Amino acid sequence: MIVIKSRAARGFIRLAIPFAVIPALAVLGTLVFDKQKHLIVSMAAAAFALLLFVTGFEKKSTGTRRLVIVSVMTALCFAGRFIPILKPVSALAILTGLYLGGEAGFLTGAMTAVLSNFYFGQGPWTVFQILAWGIIGLGAGILSEPLKKSRISLIIYGIVSGVAYSFIMDIWTVLWYNQSFSWRLYRLALISAIPYTTSYVVSNVVFLWLLAKPVGEKLERLHKKYGI
Amino acid sequence: MEGRRVRSFSEYDPAVTAVYFAAVMGLAMFSNSPAITLLSLCGALLYFFSLNGTSGGRFHLFAFLLFIILAAVNPLVSHNGTTVLLVVNDRPITLEALIYGLCSSVLITGTLYWLRCFTQIMTTDKLLRVTGFLSPKLSLVLSMAVRFVPLFGRQWQKINNAQRAMGLYREDNAIDGARGSLRVFSVLVTWALENGITTADSMEARGCGVSRRTSFHKFRLRHGDYILLAAELILFAGAASAAAAGAFDFSCYPSVTMAERDWRTYTGAAAYGLLVLLPVIIDMEARIRWSLLKPTGLALSIPERKNMP
Repeated sequence: MIVIKSRAARGFIRLAIPFAVIPALAVLGTLVFDKQKHLIVSMAAAAFALLLFVTGFEKKSTGTRRLVIVSVMTALCFAGRFIPILKPVSALAILTGLYLGGEAGFLTGAMTAVLSNFYFGQGPWTVFQILAWGIIGLGAGILSEPLKKSRISLIIYGIVSGVAYSFIMDIWTVLWYNQSFSWRLYRLALISAIPYTTSYVVSNVVFLWLLAKPVGEKLERLHKKYGI
Repeated sequence: MEGRRVRSFSEYDPAVTAVYFAAVMGLAMFSNSPAITLLSLCGALLYFFSLNGTSGGRFHLFAFLLFIILAAVNPLVSHNGTTVLLVVNDRPITLEALIYGLCSSVLITGTLYWLRCFTQIMTTDKLLRVTGFLSPKLSLVLSMAVRFVPLFGRQWQKINNAQRAMGLYREDNAIDGARGSLRVFSVLVTWALENGITTADSMEARGCGVSRRTSFHKFRLRHGDYILLAAELILFAGAASAAAAGAFDFSCYPSVTMAERDWRTYTGAAAYGLLVLLPVIIDMEARIRWSLLKPTGLALSIPERKNMP
Protein backbone atom coordinates (compact mmCIF):
# COMPACT_ATOMS: atom_id res chain seq x y z
CA MET A 1 0.00 0.00 0.00
CA ILE A 2 1.47 3.34 -0.98
CA VAL A 3 -0.03 6.39 0.68
CA ILE A 4 2.13 9.07 -0.89
CA LYS A 5 1.90 8.93 -4.67
CA SER A 6 4.74 11.19 -5.76
CA ARG A 7 8.07 9.39 -5.99
CA ALA A 8 10.09 12.51 -5.31
CA ALA A 9 8.10 13.20 -2.14
CA ARG A 10 8.62 9.65 -0.94
CA GLY A 11 12.36 9.89 -1.52
CA PHE A 12 12.46 13.22 0.28
CA ILE A 13 10.63 11.88 3.32
CA ARG A 14 12.79 8.76 3.39
CA LEU A 15 15.93 10.89 3.70
CA ALA A 16 14.56 13.89 5.59
CA ILE A 17 13.20 11.97 8.57
CA PRO A 18 16.40 10.13 9.52
CA PHE A 19 18.80 12.95 8.80
CA ALA A 20 16.91 16.13 9.62
CA VAL A 21 13.97 15.41 11.92
CA ILE A 22 15.64 12.95 14.28
CA PRO A 23 18.82 14.99 14.86
CA ALA A 24 16.62 18.03 15.56
CA LEU A 25 14.58 16.00 18.05
CA ALA A 26 17.80 14.76 19.66
CA VAL A 27 19.07 18.30 20.15
CA LEU A 28 15.73 19.36 21.65
CA GLY A 29 15.72 16.21 23.77
CA THR A 30 19.05 17.07 25.34
CA LEU A 31 17.62 20.42 26.37
CA VAL A 32 14.71 18.70 28.10
CA PHE A 33 16.53 15.81 29.74
CA ASP A 34 19.17 16.45 32.35
CA LYS A 35 22.76 16.98 31.30
CA GLN A 36 24.05 13.52 32.13
CA LYS A 37 21.88 11.97 29.43
CA HIS A 38 23.47 13.69 26.39
CA LEU A 39 25.47 10.64 25.46
CA ILE A 40 22.51 8.25 25.59
CA VAL A 41 20.19 10.59 23.71
CA SER A 42 22.67 11.33 20.95
CA MET A 43 23.66 7.70 20.47
CA ALA A 44 20.05 6.56 20.46
CA ALA A 45 19.22 9.25 17.91
CA ALA A 46 22.12 8.26 15.66
CA ALA A 47 21.26 4.56 15.86
CA PHE A 48 17.58 5.25 15.27
CA ALA A 49 18.29 7.41 12.23
CA LEU A 50 20.40 4.64 10.73
CA LEU A 51 17.77 2.01 11.51
CA LEU A 52 15.09 4.07 9.78
CA PHE A 53 17.29 4.56 6.75
CA VAL A 54 18.02 0.84 6.59
CA THR A 55 14.36 -0.16 6.79
CA GLY A 56 13.52 2.38 4.09
CA PHE A 57 16.30 0.98 1.94
CA GLU A 58 15.17 -2.60 2.59
CA LYS A 59 11.60 -1.81 1.48
CA LYS A 60 12.65 -0.05 -1.69
CA SER A 61 13.50 -2.16 -4.70
CA THR A 62 17.11 -1.59 -5.67
CA GLY A 63 18.65 -3.31 -8.66
CA THR A 64 21.35 -5.90 -8.11
CA ARG A 65 23.66 -3.88 -10.35
CA ARG A 66 23.38 -0.89 -8.08
CA LEU A 67 24.11 -2.97 -5.00
CA VAL A 68 27.18 -4.52 -6.60
CA ILE A 69 28.53 -1.14 -7.74
CA VAL A 70 28.09 0.22 -4.20
CA SER A 71 30.05 -2.69 -2.82
CA VAL A 72 32.77 -2.18 -5.44
CA MET A 73 33.13 1.45 -4.32
CA THR A 74 33.06 0.34 -0.66
CA ALA A 75 35.88 -2.11 -1.30
CA LEU A 76 37.93 0.62 -3.02
CA CYS A 77 37.35 3.01 -0.09
CA PHE A 78 38.20 0.30 2.40
CA ALA A 79 41.48 -0.50 0.64
CA GLY A 80 42.18 3.25 0.46
CA ARG A 81 41.93 3.59 4.22
CA PHE A 82 45.17 1.64 4.53
CA ILE A 83 47.16 4.37 2.74
CA PRO A 84 49.08 6.15 5.51
CA ILE A 85 48.19 9.79 6.31
CA LEU A 86 46.29 10.59 3.10
CA LYS A 87 42.91 8.82 3.02
CA PRO A 88 40.80 8.79 -0.15
CA VAL A 89 37.66 7.53 1.65
CA SER A 90 35.72 10.80 1.70
CA ALA A 91 36.80 11.69 -1.83
CA LEU A 92 35.55 8.37 -3.22
CA ALA A 93 32.28 8.62 -1.25
CA ILE A 94 31.81 12.15 -2.64
CA LEU A 95 32.42 10.98 -6.22
CA THR A 96 30.00 8.08 -5.77
CA GLY A 97 27.33 10.42 -4.43
CA LEU A 98 27.99 12.87 -7.23
CA TYR A 99 27.49 10.43 -10.09
CA LEU A 100 25.29 7.66 -8.68
CA GLY A 101 23.02 9.69 -6.41
CA GLY A 102 22.96 10.60 -2.74
CA GLU A 103 21.79 7.24 -1.50
CA ALA A 104 24.68 5.39 -3.15
CA GLY A 105 27.08 7.97 -1.71
CA PHE A 106 25.61 7.52 1.75
CA LEU A 107 25.84 3.75 1.53
CA THR A 108 29.44 3.80 0.30
CA GLY A 109 30.56 6.03 3.15
CA ALA A 110 28.53 4.17 5.76
CA MET A 111 29.52 0.68 4.70
CA THR A 112 33.20 1.68 4.54
CA ALA A 113 32.97 2.80 8.17
CA VAL A 114 31.41 -0.50 9.25
CA LEU A 115 33.80 -2.67 7.28
CA SER A 116 37.08 -0.89 7.84
CA ASN A 117 36.49 -0.67 11.58
CA PHE A 118 37.01 -4.41 11.75
CA TYR A 119 40.65 -3.53 11.22
CA PHE A 120 40.82 -0.08 12.78
CA GLY A 121 38.72 -0.90 15.85
CA GLN A 122 34.98 -1.25 16.21
CA GLY A 123 33.18 0.83 18.82
CA PRO A 124 30.35 3.20 19.61
CA TRP A 125 32.17 5.75 17.46
CA THR A 126 31.38 3.56 14.44
CA VAL A 127 27.83 4.93 14.58
CA PHE A 128 29.13 8.49 14.33
CA GLN A 129 31.61 7.60 11.60
CA ILE A 130 28.79 6.01 9.62
CA LEU A 131 26.79 9.20 9.94
CA ALA A 132 29.72 11.49 9.17
CA TRP A 133 30.94 9.69 6.05
CA GLY A 134 27.42 8.84 4.99
CA ILE A 135 26.25 12.43 5.18
CA ILE A 136 29.32 13.60 3.24
CA GLY A 137 28.32 11.21 0.43
CA LEU A 138 24.66 12.12 0.70
CA GLY A 139 25.43 15.86 0.52
CA ALA A 140 27.48 15.34 -2.64
CA GLY A 141 24.49 13.61 -4.20
CA ILE A 142 22.13 16.42 -3.25
CA LEU A 143 24.50 19.11 -4.52
CA SER A 144 25.54 17.14 -7.61
CA GLU A 145 24.36 19.75 -10.14
CA PRO A 146 26.55 22.66 -9.00
CA LEU A 147 29.45 20.39 -7.98
CA LYS A 148 29.66 18.73 -11.38
CA LYS A 149 29.86 22.09 -13.14
CA SER A 150 33.14 23.39 -11.78
CA ARG A 151 36.08 21.70 -10.20
CA ILE A 152 36.61 24.62 -7.83
CA SER A 153 33.22 24.06 -6.18
CA LEU A 154 34.04 20.36 -5.85
CA ILE A 155 37.33 21.18 -4.13
CA ILE A 156 35.53 23.59 -1.79
CA TYR A 157 33.03 20.85 -0.96
CA GLY A 158 36.00 18.58 -0.20
CA ILE A 159 37.50 21.14 2.18
CA VAL A 160 34.17 21.72 3.92
CA SER A 161 33.49 18.02 4.30
CA GLY A 162 36.98 17.38 5.71
CA VAL A 163 36.41 20.03 8.37
CA ALA A 164 32.85 18.82 8.97
CA TYR A 165 34.07 15.27 9.53
CA SER A 166 36.37 16.49 12.26
CA PHE A 167 33.61 18.60 13.82
CA ILE A 168 31.16 15.68 13.91
CA MET A 169 33.68 13.23 15.31
CA ASP A 170 34.78 15.66 18.01
CA ILE A 171 31.21 15.99 19.27
CA TRP A 172 31.50 12.29 19.89
CA THR A 173 34.93 12.66 21.59
CA VAL A 174 33.49 15.19 24.04
CA LEU A 175 30.34 13.20 24.73
CA TRP A 176 32.26 10.02 25.36
CA TYR A 177 34.76 11.65 27.67
CA ASN A 178 32.41 13.87 29.57
CA GLN A 179 28.98 12.20 29.22
CA SER A 180 27.52 15.62 28.60
CA PHE A 181 28.37 18.26 26.05
CA SER A 182 30.66 21.12 27.00
CA TRP A 183 31.77 23.89 24.65
CA ARG A 184 35.04 24.24 26.48
CA LEU A 185 36.04 20.63 25.94
CA TYR A 186 34.72 20.77 22.39
CA ARG A 187 36.98 23.70 21.62
CA LEU A 188 39.94 21.88 23.15
CA ALA A 189 39.15 18.71 21.21
CA LEU A 190 38.93 20.68 17.96
CA ILE A 191 42.26 22.37 18.63
CA SER A 192 44.02 19.13 19.49
CA ALA A 193 42.57 17.55 16.34
CA ILE A 194 44.04 20.21 14.02
CA PRO A 195 46.71 17.86 12.56
CA TYR A 196 44.03 15.28 11.76
CA THR A 197 41.67 17.88 10.33
CA THR A 198 44.48 19.14 8.12
CA SER A 199 45.19 15.64 6.90
CA TYR A 200 41.50 15.09 6.08
CA VAL A 201 41.29 18.38 4.21
CA VAL A 202 44.54 17.84 2.32
CA SER A 203 43.64 14.28 1.35
CA ASN A 204 40.17 15.34 0.19
CA VAL A 205 41.63 18.10 -1.95
CA VAL A 206 44.43 15.94 -3.37
CA PHE A 207 42.25 12.94 -4.16
CA LEU A 208 39.34 14.96 -5.51
CA TRP A 209 41.78 16.85 -7.73
CA LEU A 210 43.42 13.66 -8.98
CA LEU A 211 40.40 11.37 -9.19
CA ALA A 212 37.53 13.70 -10.14
CA LYS A 213 38.15 13.33 -13.84
CA PRO A 214 39.17 9.66 -14.26
CA VAL A 215 36.74 8.14 -11.73
CA GLY A 216 33.98 10.61 -12.58
CA GLU A 217 34.19 9.72 -16.27
CA LYS A 218 33.97 6.03 -15.50
CA LEU A 219 30.95 6.41 -13.22
CA GLU A 220 29.28 8.69 -15.76
CA ARG A 221 29.91 6.11 -18.47
CA LEU A 222 28.44 3.40 -16.24
CA HIS A 223 25.37 5.57 -15.79
CA LYS A 224 24.98 6.06 -19.55
CA LYS A 225 25.81 2.52 -20.61
CA TYR A 226 23.87 0.54 -18.02
CA GLY A 227 21.39 3.11 -16.73
CA ILE A 228 22.49 2.85 -13.11
CA MET B 1 22.59 -38.82 20.26
CA GLU B 2 24.51 -35.60 20.14
CA GLY B 3 26.74 -35.06 23.15
CA ARG B 4 27.17 -31.74 24.86
CA ARG B 5 29.54 -29.62 22.81
CA VAL B 6 32.56 -28.13 24.50
CA ARG B 7 32.65 -24.56 23.32
CA SER B 8 34.68 -21.55 24.29
CA PHE B 9 32.89 -18.20 24.58
CA SER B 10 33.87 -17.14 21.06
CA GLU B 11 32.23 -20.22 19.56
CA TYR B 12 28.74 -19.39 20.74
CA ASP B 13 26.25 -17.92 18.31
CA PRO B 14 27.29 -14.43 17.11
CA ALA B 15 23.95 -12.93 18.11
CA VAL B 16 24.46 -14.13 21.69
CA THR B 17 27.98 -12.69 21.70
CA ALA B 18 26.76 -9.36 20.32
CA VAL B 19 24.06 -9.13 22.99
CA TYR B 20 26.67 -9.86 25.65
CA PHE B 21 29.01 -7.06 24.60
CA ALA B 22 26.14 -4.61 24.22
CA ALA B 23 24.91 -5.43 27.74
CA VAL B 24 28.32 -5.19 29.41
CA MET B 25 29.42 -1.98 27.71
CA GLY B 26 26.00 -0.37 27.73
CA LEU B 27 25.60 -0.72 31.46
CA ALA B 28 29.11 0.55 32.16
CA MET B 29 28.67 3.56 29.90
CA PHE B 30 25.27 4.61 31.13
CA SER B 31 25.56 4.05 34.87
CA ASN B 32 28.84 5.99 35.29
CA SER B 33 29.27 4.67 38.80
CA PRO B 34 32.85 3.86 39.83
CA ALA B 35 31.85 0.42 41.17
CA ILE B 36 30.39 -0.66 37.82
CA THR B 37 33.13 0.85 35.67
CA LEU B 38 35.85 -0.67 37.83
CA LEU B 39 34.21 -4.10 37.57
CA SER B 40 33.96 -3.62 33.82
CA LEU B 41 37.65 -2.73 33.52
CA CYS B 42 38.70 -5.74 35.64
CA GLY B 43 36.51 -8.14 33.64
CA ALA B 44 37.76 -6.75 30.33
CA LEU B 45 41.39 -7.07 31.42
CA LEU B 46 40.85 -10.66 32.59
CA TYR B 47 39.17 -11.66 29.35
CA PHE B 48 41.81 -9.86 27.29
CA PHE B 49 44.52 -11.80 29.11
CA SER B 50 42.67 -15.09 28.69
CA LEU B 51 42.40 -14.43 24.94
CA ASN B 52 45.91 -13.11 24.32
CA GLY B 53 48.06 -14.37 27.17
CA THR B 54 51.01 -12.10 27.64
CA SER B 55 51.09 -10.79 24.06
CA GLY B 56 49.47 -7.47 23.24
CA GLY B 57 52.04 -5.36 25.11
CA ARG B 58 51.73 -2.45 22.71
CA PHE B 59 48.01 -2.22 23.29
CA HIS B 60 48.55 -2.26 27.05
CA LEU B 61 51.04 0.59 26.71
CA PHE B 62 48.61 2.58 24.57
CA ALA B 63 45.77 1.99 27.03
CA PHE B 64 47.94 2.95 29.98
CA LEU B 65 49.08 6.22 28.36
CA LEU B 66 45.50 7.03 27.40
CA PHE B 67 44.41 6.34 30.97
CA ILE B 68 47.00 8.75 32.39
CA ILE B 69 46.27 11.49 29.85
CA LEU B 70 42.49 11.30 30.23
CA ALA B 71 42.73 11.31 34.01
CA ALA B 72 45.05 14.32 33.94
CA VAL B 73 43.07 16.41 31.47
CA ASN B 74 39.89 16.82 33.49
CA PRO B 75 41.30 18.61 36.57
CA LEU B 76 43.17 20.98 34.25
CA VAL B 77 40.04 21.83 32.27
CA SER B 78 37.26 21.65 34.79
CA HIS B 79 37.41 23.79 37.93
CA ASN B 80 34.14 22.76 39.54
CA GLY B 81 34.15 21.19 42.95
CA THR B 82 34.60 22.34 46.53
CA THR B 83 37.81 20.69 47.75
CA VAL B 84 40.70 22.71 46.34
CA LEU B 85 43.96 20.81 46.28
CA LEU B 86 46.24 23.46 44.81
CA VAL B 87 46.03 26.59 42.72
CA VAL B 88 47.82 26.88 39.38
CA ASN B 89 47.74 30.16 37.43
CA ASP B 90 44.91 31.42 39.64
CA ARG B 91 42.90 28.37 38.73
CA PRO B 92 41.94 25.84 41.37
CA ILE B 93 42.68 22.15 40.87
CA THR B 94 39.96 20.32 42.75
CA LEU B 95 39.74 16.84 44.20
CA GLU B 96 36.31 16.36 42.65
CA ALA B 97 37.55 17.11 39.14
CA LEU B 98 40.44 14.71 39.69
CA ILE B 99 38.06 11.93 40.79
CA TYR B 100 35.75 12.64 37.87
CA GLY B 101 38.68 12.38 35.45
CA LEU B 102 39.78 9.10 37.01
CA CYS B 103 36.26 7.66 36.72
CA SER B 104 36.05 8.68 33.07
CA SER B 105 39.36 7.13 32.21
CA VAL B 106 38.52 3.87 34.01
CA LEU B 107 35.32 3.73 31.96
CA ILE B 108 37.03 4.56 28.68
CA THR B 109 39.96 2.17 29.07
CA GLY B 110 37.57 -0.60 30.18
CA THR B 111 35.41 -0.03 27.11
CA LEU B 112 38.50 -0.01 24.88
CA TYR B 113 39.57 -3.41 26.22
CA TRP B 114 36.07 -4.82 25.69
CA LEU B 115 36.03 -3.50 22.15
CA ARG B 116 39.42 -5.02 21.49
CA CYS B 117 38.11 -8.40 22.62
CA PHE B 118 34.95 -7.84 20.57
CA THR B 119 36.93 -7.12 17.41
CA GLN B 120 39.03 -10.23 18.02
CA ILE B 121 36.03 -12.51 18.47
CA MET B 122 33.57 -11.04 15.98
CA THR B 123 35.08 -11.95 12.65
CA THR B 124 33.44 -10.61 9.49
CA ASP B 125 31.45 -13.77 8.78
CA LYS B 126 29.89 -13.53 12.24
CA LEU B 127 29.05 -9.88 11.69
CA LEU B 128 27.36 -10.79 8.42
CA ARG B 129 25.24 -13.28 10.31
CA VAL B 130 24.20 -10.58 12.78
CA THR B 131 23.54 -7.91 10.14
CA GLY B 132 21.67 -10.49 8.07
CA PHE B 133 18.97 -10.43 10.73
CA LEU B 134 18.77 -6.67 10.38
CA SER B 135 19.07 -6.10 6.67
CA PRO B 136 19.83 -8.86 4.16
CA LYS B 137 20.56 -6.33 1.42
CA LEU B 138 23.21 -4.40 3.33
CA SER B 139 24.65 -7.67 4.55
CA LEU B 140 25.04 -8.68 0.90
CA VAL B 141 26.81 -5.38 0.11
CA LEU B 142 29.20 -5.93 3.02
CA SER B 143 29.99 -9.52 2.16
CA MET B 144 30.67 -8.64 -1.46
CA ALA B 145 32.95 -5.81 -0.41
CA VAL B 146 34.90 -8.21 1.81
CA ARG B 147 35.35 -10.47 -1.16
CA PHE B 148 36.33 -7.65 -3.53
CA VAL B 149 39.28 -6.45 -1.47
CA PRO B 150 41.63 -9.42 -2.13
CA LEU B 151 40.31 -9.67 -5.69
CA PHE B 152 41.24 -6.04 -6.36
CA GLY B 153 44.60 -6.58 -4.69
CA ARG B 154 45.45 -9.38 -7.11
CA GLN B 155 44.16 -7.39 -10.09
CA TRP B 156 46.29 -4.41 -9.00
CA GLN B 157 49.35 -6.68 -9.13
CA LYS B 158 48.44 -7.90 -12.61
CA ILE B 159 47.87 -4.40 -13.98
CA ASN B 160 51.03 -3.18 -12.32
CA ASN B 161 53.09 -5.95 -13.87
CA ALA B 162 51.63 -5.29 -17.30
CA GLN B 163 52.32 -1.56 -17.03
CA ARG B 164 55.88 -2.12 -15.92
CA ALA B 165 56.48 -4.65 -18.67
CA MET B 166 55.38 -1.99 -21.15
CA GLY B 167 57.93 0.32 -19.59
CA LEU B 168 55.38 2.95 -18.67
CA TYR B 169 56.99 4.04 -15.42
CA ARG B 170 59.96 3.58 -13.19
CA GLU B 171 59.52 2.99 -9.50
CA ASP B 172 62.78 4.64 -8.41
CA ASN B 173 61.47 8.04 -9.49
CA ALA B 174 58.95 9.22 -6.90
CA ILE B 175 56.83 11.46 -9.15
CA ASP B 176 56.86 8.94 -11.97
CA GLY B 177 55.95 6.22 -9.48
CA ALA B 178 53.00 8.19 -8.10
CA ARG B 179 51.71 8.88 -11.60
CA GLY B 180 52.12 5.22 -12.42
CA SER B 181 50.13 4.17 -9.34
CA LEU B 182 47.42 6.63 -10.28
CA ARG B 183 47.23 5.10 -13.76
CA VAL B 184 47.10 1.59 -12.31
CA PHE B 185 44.31 2.74 -9.97
CA SER B 186 42.39 4.24 -12.88
CA VAL B 187 42.65 1.01 -14.87
CA LEU B 188 41.64 -0.95 -11.79
CA VAL B 189 38.50 1.18 -11.29
CA THR B 190 37.42 0.62 -14.87
CA TRP B 191 37.96 -3.09 -14.55
CA ALA B 192 36.28 -3.26 -11.13
CA LEU B 193 33.13 -1.47 -12.29
CA GLU B 194 32.75 -3.54 -15.46
CA ASN B 195 33.46 -6.70 -13.52
CA GLY B 196 30.85 -5.63 -10.98
CA ILE B 197 28.22 -5.28 -13.70
CA THR B 198 29.06 -8.74 -15.03
CA THR B 199 28.84 -10.16 -11.51
CA ALA B 200 25.50 -8.46 -10.92
CA ASP B 201 24.02 -9.76 -14.17
CA SER B 202 25.22 -13.24 -13.40
CA MET B 203 23.76 -13.02 -9.88
CA GLU B 204 20.46 -11.86 -11.25
CA ALA B 205 20.40 -14.69 -13.78
CA ARG B 206 20.76 -17.13 -10.91
CA GLY B 207 17.83 -15.64 -9.07
CA CYS B 208 19.42 -13.18 -6.66
CA GLY B 209 16.72 -11.35 -4.74
CA VAL B 210 14.02 -13.85 -5.61
CA SER B 211 13.94 -15.64 -2.27
CA ARG B 212 15.77 -15.64 1.06
CA ARG B 213 19.52 -15.93 0.93
CA THR B 214 21.34 -18.84 2.50
CA SER B 215 24.69 -18.51 4.22
CA PHE B 216 27.97 -20.38 4.02
CA HIS B 217 28.23 -21.10 7.73
CA LYS B 218 25.53 -23.16 9.31
CA PHE B 219 24.87 -21.15 12.41
CA ARG B 220 22.23 -22.83 14.46
CA LEU B 221 21.03 -21.82 17.89
CA ARG B 222 21.73 -24.73 20.26
CA HIS B 223 20.61 -25.33 23.81
CA GLY B 224 23.80 -23.80 25.13
CA ASP B 225 23.12 -20.57 23.23
CA TYR B 226 19.69 -20.20 24.79
CA ILE B 227 21.09 -20.89 28.24
CA LEU B 228 23.88 -18.34 27.79
CA LEU B 229 21.47 -15.75 26.40
CA ALA B 230 19.11 -16.27 29.33
CA ALA B 231 21.99 -15.96 31.81
CA GLU B 232 23.15 -12.73 30.13
CA LEU B 233 19.69 -11.23 30.18
CA ILE B 234 18.95 -12.18 33.79
CA LEU B 235 22.25 -10.81 35.08
CA PHE B 236 21.85 -7.67 32.99
CA ALA B 237 18.31 -7.16 34.26
CA GLY B 238 19.48 -7.61 37.86
CA ALA B 239 22.27 -5.06 37.53
CA ALA B 240 20.25 -2.63 35.41
CA SER B 241 17.27 -2.64 37.77
CA ALA B 242 19.57 -1.88 40.71
CA ALA B 243 21.13 0.95 38.70
CA ALA B 244 17.72 2.27 37.70
CA ALA B 245 16.58 2.22 41.35
CA GLY B 246 19.47 4.52 42.11
CA ALA B 247 21.61 2.04 44.02
CA PHE B 248 24.75 3.17 42.15
CA ASP B 249 24.03 6.88 41.98
CA PHE B 250 27.20 8.84 42.03
CA SER B 251 27.98 12.46 41.39
CA CYS B 252 31.20 14.41 41.66
CA TYR B 253 30.06 18.01 41.61
CA PRO B 254 29.87 20.06 43.76
CA SER B 255 31.20 17.42 46.15
CA VAL B 256 31.51 13.66 45.84
CA THR B 257 28.25 11.98 46.87
CA MET B 258 27.36 8.32 46.68
CA ALA B 259 24.04 6.57 47.18
CA GLU B 260 23.50 4.79 50.49
CA ARG B 261 24.66 1.21 50.19
CA ASP B 262 21.88 -1.29 50.78
CA TRP B 263 21.08 -4.82 49.58
CA ARG B 264 20.31 -3.51 46.08
CA THR B 265 23.82 -2.19 45.70
CA TYR B 266 25.35 -5.51 46.66
CA THR B 267 23.08 -7.72 44.55
CA GLY B 268 23.41 -5.36 41.58
CA ALA B 269 27.20 -5.33 41.85
CA ALA B 270 27.27 -9.11 42.25
CA ALA B 271 25.08 -9.56 39.15
CA TYR B 272 27.28 -7.23 37.09
CA GLY B 273 30.43 -8.88 38.43
CA LEU B 274 29.17 -12.28 37.35
CA LEU B 275 28.11 -10.91 33.95
CA VAL B 276 31.58 -9.47 33.42
CA LEU B 277 33.23 -12.78 34.33
CA LEU B 278 31.00 -14.96 32.11
CA PRO B 279 33.41 -15.31 29.15
CA VAL B 280 36.36 -16.13 31.38
CA ILE B 281 34.30 -18.72 33.28
CA ILE B 282 33.07 -20.32 30.07
CA ASP B 283 36.55 -20.46 28.56
CA MET B 284 37.93 -21.90 31.78
CA GLU B 285 35.25 -24.58 31.84
CA ALA B 286 35.96 -25.49 28.21
CA ARG B 287 39.66 -25.72 28.96
CA ILE B 288 39.12 -28.02 31.93
CA ARG B 289 36.74 -30.22 29.94
CA TRP B 290 39.28 -30.53 27.15
CA SER B 291 41.99 -31.53 29.55
CA LEU B 292 39.72 -34.17 31.10
CA LEU B 293 38.88 -35.53 27.65
CA LYS B 294 42.53 -35.95 26.76
CA PRO B 295 43.87 -39.39 27.61
CA THR B 296 46.98 -37.97 29.24
CA GLY B 297 45.04 -35.38 31.16
CA LEU B 298 48.14 -33.19 31.31
CA ALA B 299 47.87 -30.65 28.50
CA LEU B 300 45.74 -27.78 29.72
CA SER B 301 45.07 -26.06 26.45
CA ILE B 302 42.48 -25.97 23.73
CA PRO B 303 43.98 -27.17 20.41
CA GLU B 304 45.03 -24.20 18.28
CA ARG B 305 42.30 -23.70 15.70
CA LYS B 306 44.55 -21.54 13.54
CA ASN B 307 46.81 -24.45 12.66
CA MET B 308 44.02 -26.62 11.37
CA PRO B 309 43.61 -26.73 7.60
